[in-house]
Amino acid sequence: MEPLYFALSCYRRRNFDKCVQVCTDILEKQPLDQAAWCLKMRALTKRIYIDDIESEEIVVGDALDDDTVASAPRPGTSMKLEAALTARPRTSTGRPITGINRPGTQMRPGTSIERLKTARPLTGQSVRAIRLGTAAMYSHRDGPFIQVSRLNLIKYGKDPCLSKPLFEYLFYHEGDVRNAMELAVQATQANRFEDWWWKVQLAKCYNALNLVRDGEQQLRSALRQHTHIETFIRLIRIYLRLDQPLSALEICKAGLTTFPNDVSISTEVARLYEGLGDVQLSVKHYRNIVIEDAMNTEAIACIGVYHFYSNQPEFALRHYRRILAMGVHSAELYNNLGLCCLYSQQLDLTMACFQRALDLAIDPLIKAEVWYNLSHVAIAAGDVELAIQCLSICLVMDSTHAPAFNNLAILQYKLGRTNLAKAYFNTAKNLQPSLFEPQKNLEYLQNRYLNTFE
Amino acid sequence: MSKNTNTEPKPLFPKTGQLIIEDSQDLLMCKPRLIPLKSYTLEKLEKMQQEVQRLQKEQSSSTASPQN
Repeated sequence: MEPLYFALSCYRRRNFDKCVQVCTDILEKQPLDQAAWCLKMRALTKRIYIDDIESEEIVVGDALDDDTVASAPRPGTSMKLEAALTARPRTSTGRPITGINRPGTQMRPGTSIERLKTARPLTGQSVRAIRLGTAAMYSHRDGPFIQVSRLNLIKYGKDPCLSKPLFEYLFYHEGDVRNAMELAVQATQANRFEDWWWKVQLAKCYNALNLVRDGEQQLRSALRQHTHIETFIRLIRIYLRLDQPLSALEICKAGLTTFPNDVSISTEVARLYEGLGDVQLSVKHYRNIVIEDAMNTEAIACIGVYHFYSNQPEFALRHYRRILAMGVHSAELYNNLGLCCLYSQQLDLTMACFQRALDLAIDPLIKAEVWYNLSHVAIAAGDVELAIQCLSICLVMDSTHAPAFNNLAILQYKLGRTNLAKAYFNTAKNLQPSLFEPQKNLEYLQNRYLNTFE
Repeated sequence: MSKNTNTEPKPLFPKTGQLIIEDSQDLLMCKPRLIPLKSYTLEKLEKMQQEVQRLQKEQSSSTASPQN
């Protein structure tokens, strides 16, 4: 078979490693073969491509905004303020639990800038993207495929066939935002500022370099030329980074008038309302998403969480069962199913679900959560000793689990060990200051102590 | 009037609903925690990172072995 045709066929069948190999062979024989060069670039990019809109880590309000006048935002106009979702427990970083973990929401204590308050220089480019870029280099033992510093970017910017794959290669594979931006600037000029695609790419680069306002201008200009869902979503993300949820909502509305009932934009709206603490509206949008796309895991999971924490575990169980039927098979899901079974009195299934969850869990943090929830099963059965054991295992897995310390303190108090309980309450309070239960419990113990002396 | 004074008025109890709510303070338990599921992108990212780590280990071990 003709080697280039074979490489193309491999690319189409998503067998990227083979495609890269065949292209390398072609390029060894004919180093100036542009078709093979372009195909190899695209295959290398596709091999490590991830949806960069979804994987973006948004740190709210991290942009260096010189125009800020007020020190505190007005109520309802910022995502930074603790949302009033008191019904839900919070993660260790203080945000209420949501239905699904995205790269942007998955922050552990220690990675959150809000907590660390270090002088770390802030960029929009996630650490993951940089890591993947360097890791991609690792896999070539003969050195990099393209010597970026030797590229004549002005020449490639004018080439309509090569410029776009080259940009994507530089941006995604190499993680070299500066050169990618140089190429985008050249290509925009070569297209006489008429190509919306290049404007969106420029905005991507500006965003990665934390020049958020410049990115906004590019995206608005791109939207004037061509309305595209991706452009809308990128603009929404920019406003979220600037901590302007209301502007983001306006863009969502504009997007939804152009693309009615679009799932991606509706998802943004639902997440936004959740971030603002308006669960009812958020769930309403998630329901609309489910009507459009009945397989949308995020929407189903978020509705499930909403039902669980508004005392309707049966409905939550129904939603999680739907996800199970869709083929998801993970420790998180079995844990949630177990909890729903426990609170909707399906006791025969509870232990089986938790058993599965423990079998599937690899990450110690997930194991800790499962053991923490198992302690609730033991408490519901009235077995205090077992509950204490579960909580102890949970704390072995994750020694910073504040709710476990709080519950352990209560159990120890019931067993008459007041001083130990107080120590645990204090630990819980120090580990997670946003948790209100240990605070209240300490106050309660103090009041009781005072009353007995009076 | 005199007839009525002999008979005690019967107390009226509502037949449905809760009569007395005794508000007793107690220690507050933390709620059970549902674990957020992983999004598709997150799963793919983790898979890729594991793969890369595996490759790095293989390469570093293969480069280290000839020196030894």
